[in-house]
Amino acid sequence: MIKLLFQKFGKINTSVLFLCILFSVLELVGHRHGETSIEDFPFFPAFFGFISCIVIFKLGVSLRAFLMKDEDYYDK
Amino acid sequence: MISSLPPGFIMVLGALLVPFLPHIIRQVYMMILILISSYSLTLGFGIHSIINVMDYEFILFQSDALTLPFAIIFHIAAALNVIYGAHEKHWKQHVSIISYSGAAIAAIHAGDLLTLFVWWEATAFTSVFLILAGNSTRSYKSAIRYIIIQVISGMFLLAGAVILLLNDGNVLLTKFDINTLHGQLIFIAFGIKAAFPLLNGWLQDAYPEASEIGTVALSTFTTKLAIFCFAKCFAGTEILIAIGAIMTFYPIFFAVIENDLRRVLTYSLNNQLGFMIVAIGIGTELAINGAVAHAFAHILYKGLLFMGMGAVLYRAGTCKASELGGLYKYMPITAVCTIIGAISISAFPLFSGFVAKSLIMSALGKEGLVLVYFMLLFASAGVLHHSGIKIPFFAFFAHESGIKTKEAPKNMIVAMIIASALCIMIGIFPATFYQILPYEIIFEPYDFSHVVGQLQLLTFAAFAFICLWHFKIYPPELNSTVLNSDWIYRKMLPGVLLPLLKLINKGNQKLENKINTTFLKLKLFFYNYMLNNKVFDRDSGPDTLIVIQIFTVFLVIILTQVYFF
Repeated sequence: MIKLLFQKFGKINTSVLFLCILFSVLELVGHRHGETSIEDFPFFPAFFGFISCIVIFKLGVSLRAFLMKDEDYYDK
Repeated sequence: MISSLPPGFIMVLGALLVPFLPHIIRQVYMMILILISSYSLTLGFGIHSIINVMDYEFILFQSDALTLPFAIIFHIAAALNVIYGAHEKHWKQHVSIISYSGAAIAAIHAGDLLTLFVWWEATAFTSVFLILAGNSTRSYKSAIRYIIIQVISGMFLLAGAVILLLNDGNVLLTKFDINTLHGQLIFIAFGIKAAFPLLNGWLQDAYPEASEIGTVALSTFTTKLAIFCFAKCFAGTEILIAIGAIMTFYPIFFAVIENDLRRVLTYSLNNQLGFMIVAIGIGTELAINGAVAHAFAHILYKGLLFMGMGAVLYRAGTCKASELGGLYKYMPITAVCTIIGAISISAFPLFSGFVAKSLIMSALGKEGLVLVYFMLLFASAGVLHHSGIKIPFFAFFAHESGIKTKEAPKNMIVAMIIASALCIMIGIFPATFYQILPYEIIFEPYDFSHVVGQLQLLTFAAFAFICLWHFKIYPPELNSTVLNSDWIYRKMLPGVLLPLLKLINKGNQKLENKINTTFLKLKLFFYNYMLNNKVFDRDSGPDTLIVIQIFTVFLVIILTQVYFF
């Protein structure tokens, strides 16, 4: 199973996946609290990190339409 | 003698000799200059040097708890720059780097606004040569825009200083009120150098056009000098929190779509400055410590990232994500050092970014600024995305680019290893690092909640990137220009003003023609009149009589003026 994941998903990618699982499990071992009360919600940083990254990507790519010009845009 | 000179001054003065020294001796000489300059840091806090010019006292050298950490990191960065640039045989860039570093170091020790103004301009005029060293038409044009904007910033500073001098009779560098005119002018001057939103165009425009050595030096001094000035003069100014939050937020999206990796780093630099500005805006002891710690750590890891990309540019000849990839095989040490820089800036525990950023986040939490807190947390995920992953991934991994090259020159590797070691040491020994900060604090960054929370945030953000890339949702990098606020003065204003000027010119010419013809007609009329009435003839007639009468009247008036009054 793990071998298949290694082959299909790549070594580094699978390692990151395991790290994600490890740090999520760590939360169950000890008590984690944040600077604000919203952060005390279980696995909040995990959700926040994942969703932020997707939002940044989506917004960034959609901005391409407005902000991306030819390489010699200013030289014309 | 040396003790009465401000630190850095000896570097500016010593730079004059640099062109006359042979290659390697030059580097040793510059290191000695930095060492002599750093001696002044041992003198302790207080005012050490004042000169009196035209009844005005210039405080050349004063130091306190805030100047010390900046002075230490500026000296370290200057030394790293000298090592990193040692392969460059021509003297030009070395003169620029040593005098630029010296000017920045002297600037933070200035005790009054006029002294600061002198060094403020000096940093601009010494650093512009690093952009010119990019050696292309683009870098030349960029350098001109850079110097114009830096000088404008200086003009704002001078205007603020003069108004303050007229009002108060002195221009001591202390806390200023944003509600006064001089306060606002100085605020704008600092804001331009700190690359505030809409004032940031020069940063992304100029830095990536500089030489590979130049960008490393540029990334260190100018913007951090502005951060120092804000910490000194505007700590606790609430508007800075909002400005800083915007600064952390919007450059992320630009960095995601930018193709030039050094330009990605300038967006990232802008975003990191935002963290510091927010902390200065909060103004508590913990927050100011956070801002200073972040500036200190930031200079090292951002310098390291620029060094890595500079090495790639030097060897591969390009820094574009679309053209790079697979370089880890040829430049393994550069790759490892860049990854350490990337991990540090992403604020992974045990690296410098974590111990510095924790202070700011904690200060925000303590003040109850929830919205700003989450904006910065979101920005942290963004930093991981564009600096933590994008930079090393697209340069050293991603697809096979086909570029075959050598490892970076030895001197570059030495500089990168030292910077990497410092990033890790700060991360491992935060208590020692915190000792140089302006205020004494008891803060433990490595508690269970901080570490687990941060690790979860970062690994899941990294996992999101992995999913996007693996499932081919992430679009390929494209050769492009990303519009930034410099668009306003590079495209929009010329676009509006040039036709307007042409119109004015056209109208002006019409008016000129009209005036010319009227004048000609008038001339002709008088000429004919005089000719017809024989004004200039020798024979005296009725017209001659009129002229004589007019002169007589004038004579009588003048004589009565002289005799009776």
